[in-house]
Formats: sequence, structure tokens, C-alpha cells
Amino acid sequence: MSKRNLNHGGTGVLAAVAIAAMPLASPVKAQEGVDLNISLILEGIYFNELREGNESPAGFGGGHHHGDGHDHGHHHGFDEGFNLGHSELVLEAKLGDFMDGTLILGFDDHDVEVEEAYLRTRSLPAGFQLKVGKFLSDVGYINSHHPHDWDFVDRPLVNEYLFGDHGLQEIGVQATWLAPTQSYTLLGVELLQGETSGVANYRGEQSAINGTERILEDTEGPRLITAFAKFAPDLGPDHAVQYGVSAGYARRYQETEAHSTRFEDWNGTAWFAGLDAVYKYDAGRSYGHGNWRLQGEYFYRVIDVDRRDVEFTDVDSDGNPTGRNIGDVRNVQSFKNKQDGVYLQGVYGFAPRWEAGLRAEALGLTNEIGRGDGSSPDPSYRYAAMVTFRPIEPVFLRAQINHNDYADDHGRDRGLDFMLQLNVALGAHGAHRF
Amino acid sequence: MPLKRYVIVLLAMVLASAWTAPQAQPLEVVATTPSLGMLARAVGGDQVRVRVLAPDDRDPHYLDARPSYMAAVRRADLLLEMGAGLEEGWLPAVLSGAANPAVNEGRRGHFRASDTLSLRRSVTMDGPNVGHVHAEGNPHFNIDPLRMAVLADALAKRMGQLRTEKADYFLARSEDAAQRLRQHARALADRIPADRQFVAYHEDLDYLEEWLPVKVLGYLEPVPGVPPTARHLRRLVRDLEGREGRVLHARYQPSRGAGFLQRHLGWDIHAVSLEPPVDADLEGYLELMSQWAAVFGGG
Ligand SMILES: [Zn+2]
Repeated sequence: MSKRNLNHGGTGVLAAVAIAAMPLASPVKAQEGVDLNISLILEGIYFNELREGNESPAGFGGGHHHGDGHDHGHHHGFDEGFNLGHSELVLEAKLGDFMDGTLILGFDDHDVEVEEAYLRTRSLPAGFQLKVGKFLSDVGYINSHHPHDWDFVDRPLVNEYLFGDHGLQEIGVQATWLAPTQSYTLLGVELLQGETSGVANYRGEQSAINGTERILEDTEGPRLITAFAKFAPDLGPDHAVQYGVSAGYARRYQETEAHSTRFEDWNGTAWFAGLDAVYKYDAGRSYGHGNWRLQGEYFYRVIDVDRRDVEFTDVDSDGNPTGRNIGDVRNVQSFKNKQDGVYLQGVYGFAPRWEAGLRAEALGLTNEIGRGDGSSPDPSYRYAAMVTFRPIEPVFLRAQINHNDYADDHGRDRGLDFMLQLNVALGAHGAHRF
Repeated sequence: MPLKRYVIVLLAMVLASAWTAPQAQPLEVVATTPSLGMLARAVGGDQVRVRVLAPDDRDPHYLDARPSYMAAVRRADLLLEMGAGLEEGWLPAVLSGAANPAVNEGRRGHFRASDTLSLRRSVTMDGPNVGHVHAEGNPHFNIDPLRMAVLADALAKRMGQLRTEKADYFLARSEDAAQRLRQHARALADRIPADRQFVAYHEDLDYLEEWLPVKVLGYLEPVPGVPPTARHLRRLVRDLEGREGRVLHARYQPSRGAGFLQRHLGWDIHAVSLEPPVDADLEGYLELMSQWAAVFGGG
């Protein structure tokens, strides 16, 4: 099911968030017997487009392009002015030491969505763990982290355009095995239903037109399998590093789009593979002063489909006959789209409780679109700079500037965005992940 | 369907691994802090192999849930934590990522030190709960050798449950360690002139009151976990005007607030270690006690 676009009239106001936050600022523990932790993460974002550039990167959705089932509208998803950013209600409960349950509801001022709802085992032997439910995939690094753990306001382009607006978020099963080695070595496999727009877009069977069957067919789930490995040697108290490699295969990737007189249908498969790395330096001073964090990810995606269009009308928009019959088949073709994306970011604690960071991104360094006669749009780039202040641990205020350098069909255009983010975590805020 | 075969293979692997449960010879102990590591060595002797997670020069409240910690806990027979919320910012994530049910909370392999002790009260237990860090009482009891002595006994009993054939060995060693801790504490207390007073940065060094004839007059932090504010420091100076004392802070805590008191009250600043070195045995901790006492003219 496609979700509603987040891009509605924003009414959230930073001040309102801050005021609403105050009376709630205490840990919430449910009555004894039930080990339940509740936390609430509230966010407000002020967004200002200082200079308008191209809306979406060439080859990745928008306009008549395919490759993304969602209608993005604005790629950033923010309105000019105030936005109630990405707020979350998190419930974590323990079933003894047998398993943990987690429910994370994400909401803005219009929609509530189950972002994650899963059970995770705590008592399987020999380093095995199973996770069942809806969850963020552990491929890559940032994909499994929630927005309030990010160093920048927005999702990296590679995660947004190769996976989806919520990253790779699916219903399924995950099995991991932590090796009994001195160095951290985690291997994992995920069997997922396969609905993520970027890598496993699924439309199911579409009704025949005037007796002409459509190329799209129903495919039972699970349709997406992923695998990942993470490796982290012990580098002592000052340094920590983690490397990751991940890949996925969707045995069904489908698109359908209504043009003026015909449906354009794609039916095929997709796969992706990527590398990620994180390095953290702990200076040993208070409030993060002198600490470094470096983080980067690269992903490559191939969509391999058959295309077959079917006419649904025999008159054009002016009412004149097109000369074709309803149910006629056109544009029969098999092609591949090969695309990739990468980002690299660094954050430095330049003073106690203050951080500054830079991020550089490229999308479509490989940008081979096989559709039609084939094309190779130019890559798009984005550069971000941010400053974050944490007055007390559960609160941060972040200012960020994005410089977008996107290619599209008409050439390159440069845009400049400004964002101000206030994020408050209330209640029994769980431990931070690495 | 090929995908379904993966599930079957995975389940088979899970089941197969259930039969392989090797019993290592020395007890693999993972301790969150150097003080707990010291205690494990003092009690466990040559029957334990100890890995300490938190470096001695870092604030144990604020560590990352590093993958290398998970790898260590994955192979542990016994996990020692201070508890009372000290490690709540990172240990739960380490534990859930370590996939080692033997050290899950509530199991014999999980030793939560704060459960066996009565802790000093914390202002966060009464006041508006902004600093959130000491809500279960002050978890920095490693500053108190008398509580460490009590802990040695509890730890010996736990180790004895995990290695029944060595239970007497652990008990004998813990009795010896407890005796030396108490003796050294008494000796140091006798050497310190009475009524020495101090201000600490965080609610941690106030545990010195428990075994030395000293008195804590206040804290540079307005609430544990909240950095010193100018207003709070000015009020401290106003309240302490004309009194004799000293300012103590951990080496990893910033010295700016202490500098303010030094300028306005003329007090000395002492940056001390709160933990012995990560590889310390009992001697290393006794030496650390002497360093603390030396701040007050004893030791
Ligand atoms: Zn503390």
C-alpha cells in the first residue's frame, strides 16, 4: 500500500512542541510486573528553501520517470515554514528474558504509521537471534537507525532513492548469528514480504483491458531476501570501527503507470548490494568534546524488467481517435536500470555539547536507464553542513544547510535549503545503538 | 520455493547449535567498570579471566554500545554491572546485541552489584527528574571500599554457584579481600584530620563520606547529569563564602566549574581518578584509596 505523502500543510510549531514537552519530562514506568518502557520523541522542523533547484535527481522518480513507486512531490518532504517533523511513540516490553517486543509508531500532524512492530528473541543458544514482525532492515548502516539518531536532519539520498521514503522497512523474519570470536562478526539473513518501492515495488495482478492480459501478475510473498555481515575489530578505548556488507534480491519488481492513452507496465526482478563503514573516535572528554564520527555507505541497484504497455482508450485527450484499439499492446521491451549512490559524512564535537558536521552525497554515478532507447542521465550531488547543540542529553537543536546540485532532463540546477530541527526524547529513553 | 529452503536451513542450524555447549575452564567474566574487574580478579584469582568494558578514564554513564563490547559479552559466563542506572545508556543495547542468554538479566550469569547493596540517596530521587541518571540512588559506590567489601562476599557466592567445585576458594579469597579493604579504609581514615570538607563535580565522590572523616558540601552540577550553570555556581560560592574546603572532580569531568570556586573561594582543585587501571588487582584499588585520602592530607 502506498502511504500518503508527508507533504501536507504543516501546522506544527516548534514552540508548541517545546511547551507540550515540559509536563511530560519524566520517565514512565508501568506498574510492577510488566516491564514496559515508554518513550516519546517529538520533533519540529523549520524549513526554508533559500534557492530553488531541480526537484528530484535525474533517473530517480519524479516527472515521467520510473524506478520509484511513490509520488515524491518534493523530494525533501518538508513544507516551507514549520513542520511537525518525524515524531515517534516507542513502547518496549520484555517477556521475561525470553523475548523483547517493540512497537514504534511514527506520526506527523496527519498520519500515524506503524514503523516497527516486532518480537526479538533473547534466549536462543549459540549466538542466534530471530526477529519477527515489521522492522527496519539491518542492511547498510543508517537504514536501521531512527531519525533522532541521525547526525543530519534528512535521510541520505542513496537510502531514500534506492530503497524508499522510510528506507528498507518491511514485514518479515530476520535471523542473525553472532560469531563467538574476539572481533565482532555478525551474519544475518532476512526474508521479507517485498513492498519497498525502490527495490521490491509490488503492484500485483492488474485487470485485463478489452481481453488483453496485463504483464503484471500476482506473486506470493516473501518476495525479498537480504543478507548482511558486520565486522568490528576491537581497537581499544579510543577508537571503534564497524564495516558492513549487504545485498538483497527481489524476485518481483513491478511498476504500472497510466499515461494519456495507455498503461505502462513493468514486471521483473531487482537486486542490490552495498558497503558501509563507521568510525568513531572517543576523545575521553565530557559532553562529546573532541569526538569524531565518520560514516559512509555505497549501494548499487539493478532493476531487470520486461515492459509491455496496453492501450486503455482509443481517443486522445482532445477526443480525436488515436488510430489504435483499446487493448492494443505497445512498447514490448526487456531492459535493465543500473543505478547507485554514495554518501560520506563526518561530525566533530568542537565544544562540549556542540557538534558540527559535513556530508557529501552522489546519486547516479552509475545511471544507466534501459527504458525506451536507453539513457544515461548525469549524476546528482548534494552537500550538507550542520551544527547541533545538546543543552541536556535528551534534547537537541540542529541547524542544517543543504546545497543541492541535481541533474534533470533540462540540465543541472542548484538549490539551497535551510533546516532547523528541535528534537526532544521524553520518558525512559532506551540505550543508544552503535 | 528457494526462499522457504532458507528458513528450514536456518532452523536446522539453530537446533543443531543447541547441542554444543562447551564448558570453558576459567570463568569468562566481563565487568562493566575497572572497579568491578578488580573485584572479580580479587575474588576469582586464577579461576577467572576478566575483561573490563569501560576504560578507567571515561564516564561510565556515557559510553557507546560498541560492537566490541557485544563480542565480549557474547562469550561471557558472568557479566558484572554496577547497576542502579549507571550503565543504562549503553549496557541494554550491548546485552540485546550479544545474543548470550546465560548473562541475561535475572540469570545467574548476570550480577547486578547494586542489588546487593544499600545505596546513598540521590537528589534525583526526590526532585524534579531532569538529570535522570541517579533515579535508583547513587550508583558510584565503587568509591566506597566498605561497600566493595560487602560486594566481594556476594560476588564470591555467585561465582561459587557457577563453579561449585571452587566455591570455597572464592569465599576464602573474598574474605581476605574484604578484610584488607576494611583495614586499609580504617588506616586511611585515622590519618585524616577531622572535618575536612569538599565540593564534588558529580554525585559520585560523596561516597568518601562513608569511610573517611570528610563532608561533602555540594556539587558543581545542579542535578546529576546536568552541566554546571553560572547561576548554580554563584549560589554555591555565596553559600560557601568564608569556609575552608577543596574541589574534587574526576579527570574526565571538565575543570571550569572548579576553577570558578577556586577563584572566588580560594580552594584547591583536585582532579582524581574514580577507577583503578583496567587491569588492576586489589593492590591497584588500595593504591587508589590512598590517592583519594591524600587529597585530604592523609594517605
Ligand atoms: Zn553518576
